[in-house]
Amino acid sequence: MSSRRSRQSSATVSRISDDQIIELVSKLRQLLPEIRNRRSDKVSASKVLQETCNYIRSLHREVDDLSERLSQLLATIDADSAEAAIIRSLIM
Amino acid sequence: MRSPCSLKQEFLKKWIMGIQRCNFSKKKLSILERKKAIKLSADVAMASLRNGTTCWSRALIAKAVNQGNDEKHDLVQQMVKKAPIRSVSCNKRMMRSKKILKRSCGVRRRKCAAQASTRPSSIAKRLVRKRTRILKSLIPGGEFMNEASLIEETLDYILSLRAQVDVMRSLAIASENQS
Repeated sequence: MSSRRSRQSSATVSRISDDQIIELVSKLRQLLPEIRNRRSDKVSASKVLQETCNYIRSLHREVDDLSERLSQLLATIDADSAEAAIIRSLIM
Repeated sequence: MRSPCSLKQEFLKKWIMGIQRCNFSKKKLSILERKKAIKLSADVAMASLRNGTTCWSRALIAKAVNQGNDEKHDLVQQMVKKAPIRSVSCNKRMMRSKKILKRSCGVRRRKCAAQASTRPSSIAKRLVRKRTRILKSLIPGGEFMNEASLIEETLDYILSLRAQVDVMRSLAIASENQS
């Protein structure tokens, strides 16, 4: 099998080996909700990578949205309320 | 491995320190500029928690230093205790040597690809290679990593991103509830 062959090849030609994929799947399973709900045994490497990429992209989008929301909040916060004073002292 | 709770607390401290240094109350910033400052502080705070131990955190800080103006440069310097700016030149050297290696391997790879393009195992391998490339483009500094460390860096990056998102979301919800 080519995956066995790749483990013996030199360090410069490092493909992801089967063991690394198994390790990745078990760790990612705890992190990714989609994979956790599916059957545990047959998850392909490319599927795991795809879910990982989608998850990271959604996290990036969320950071972007939250930064936008916080930026607008700081602009529109009611100047006189007591809570505004607390938040202002926290971040301004 | 630090607990996610302490990770969030340290992130919150550094992030708020970063935002305070932006001096929002003194300047008249547009919403977009404020958003960029908030995001930059969040990213640098998240990366500085790793103290230069992971590749993605070093790359993220280097990118923040390179793309900002002098003011942002000072902000990043203050948020990061150590100065990992030397890692930018190391990464450039690594990139150059990787390009030379890739160029010399290219001919061999093209010959092999012509022979084995229709086997299902090679299709699967191609998919893995393609998705690994996409993953590398998503992780900061990913293009400099070999595939073994890419997996570890991905896991650490996802954990840090989740802590960042959780803290930002909590602050946004708390602020919205007050006003």
